[in-house]
Amino acid sequence: MSGKQYFKNQIPVIFFNLMGLSALALFLLANGISVQAILFIFFVWLIVLSVSLYVTYGVRKRHLNKLLDMTEQLEERYLIAEIMKMPDKADEQVFYQILKMAEKSMLEKIGKIQNERKEYKEYIEQWIHEVKTPITAMKLLCENNRSPFTRDILAELENISQYTEQALFYARSEHTEKDYSVREIKISDVVHGAIADNKYLLRQSNMKITTDDMGNSVYTDDKWVRFILNQIIRNAVQYRTDQPALHFSAKKTGDRVILSVCDNGIGISGSDLPRIFEKGFTGQNGRIRKSSTGIGLYLCRRLCDKLGIGLAAYSEGKGTTIALSFQMNDFVVGVQG
Amino acid sequence: MKKKIVIVEDDFTVQTQLKTLLSGNGYEVLAIEDFSDTIRQIKDFAPHLVLLDIKLPGSSGFEICSQIRIFSDIPVVFVTSSDTDMDELNSIMLGGDAFITKPYNTAILLARIAALLKRAYPSQQTEVFTWNGASLHLESSLIEYNGQKADLTRNELKILYYLFKNPTKICSRSDIVDFLWDNQLYVDDNALSVNMTRIREKLAAIGLTGFIRTKHRQGYTL
Repeated sequence: MSGKQYFKNQIPVIFFNLMGLSALALFLLANGISVQAILFIFFVWLIVLSVSLYVTYGVRKRHLNKLLDMTEQLEERYLIAEIMKMPDKADEQVFYQILKMAEKSMLEKIGKIQNERKEYKEYIEQWIHEVKTPITAMKLLCENNRSPFTRDILAELENISQYTEQALFYARSEHTEKDYSVREIKISDVVHGAIADNKYLLRQSNMKITTDDMGNSVYTDDKWVRFILNQIIRNAVQYRTDQPALHFSAKKTGDRVILSVCDNGIGISGSDLPRIFEKGFTGQNGRIRKSSTGIGLYLCRRLCDKLGIGLAAYSEGKGTTIALSFQMNDFVVGVQG
Repeated sequence: MKKKIVIVEDDFTVQTQLKTLLSGNGYEVLAIEDFSDTIRQIKDFAPHLVLLDIKLPGSSGFEICSQIRIFSDIPVVFVTSSDTDMDELNSIMLGGDAFITKPYNTAILLARIAALLKRAYPSQQTEVFTWNGASLHLESSLIEYNGQKADLTRNELKILYYLFKNPTKICSRSDIVDFLWDNQLYVDDNALSVNMTRIREKLAAIGLTGFIRTKHRQGYTL
């Protein structure tokens, strides 16, 4: 509460006091009281008035500051009416009532939206599970009747699969905590799994794949790391050059295991590099290849944050290296010696 | 003897195509079509392995799994599109041996099935393929003809393995590369040519000339 504003609001009070004082002075003059005595009364009156104004100001300010603090400490501030005391002052009670009403309508609206969101999320999840059956059927149909034509369809099906996984992750991202199962996985298993997921895309683009011996094990969620690798592989396919190549390697440094995926594609310019994990960022490469959405790497970063995996990108003119760094915690390192 | 597999899957296309795939890979397959007495049909067929969907008409895959566990220890593979950790946990708790999510990679599915069968029914005999007097030893990674032997690299072994497995079929170059990729050997078309040349040199050295024939524009055959 600003003091200046408060005293401005008190101008009518001061004005009426002065009016009363003048009337009193006239009355006393008419009754022959000396000017000195009247000035003395003036003086005392004004002191009492200012002290009372100042004290009420202090009391109000303390009271209101307390309310403000209380509100600020609340996580859901619209619930302030629930915890504040019913005020004594008549006009404050009106505001209290207004707050209560606003809170109620807010809660109703939030409840409704939460419900709608939940239903929508459940529908999306269900839809994704359902669409996976026809995708599987198509995959099997193509695998059982292999020809150049079905190979192309299989490559497109790999695209569809990854898009559905993206949607599933997005739908679940609010409470993905529920959907993690951290266990020991071999890096080579998850890498070969991700390559298998994109086999036809990689074959179609003539990608040359090399893998180092990746015997290290890490503790993480197999499904989501595979999702991240799929995204990285698909980026390498999308931004490839002639004679594309992709190299996977893993090495242990200190208490971390670093998995590097290195391509020889068009690379990322230095000015774009710090921003590639931002949502919706497509950069120069995105302007060349129209199909960029700026969503894939953003999802990767969010997943990595949740899983505690370090994610970094390096590019010098040509080619890009994406590094995933898995933390081996002290306990695990201790047990493994 | 052919290993027997039961498919419990209610989507018609997936069911028939899975049946085609598994029959094509040397298994005897029964696909459940009437889900009212699945358990009895499984009992009658006495399979070596069961592929089980979770969402089914009638009793769920979880129920069927626990009913199977009453009378048998055969490997049960859950194949499903619901991939939450709850489902995975449930499937393990009820005695499932593997949990594969749709849309699965057929190569991975076949590999998992083969691995489970091998573990559940260990066979004593070493794996040897024979064709026209030449025998391929998988474990020692060599080919033998008239007492002469030639060592093979991993790529060469896998290529020969694929040809020996489909001796009468014409194997296209793409099929062979696919098979190699499924075995985590990422060779391209050029590398395949190099490997074929080397294999032919090795075969010629042990007296097998013209063992692998090239069908123009189609592929290779033994």
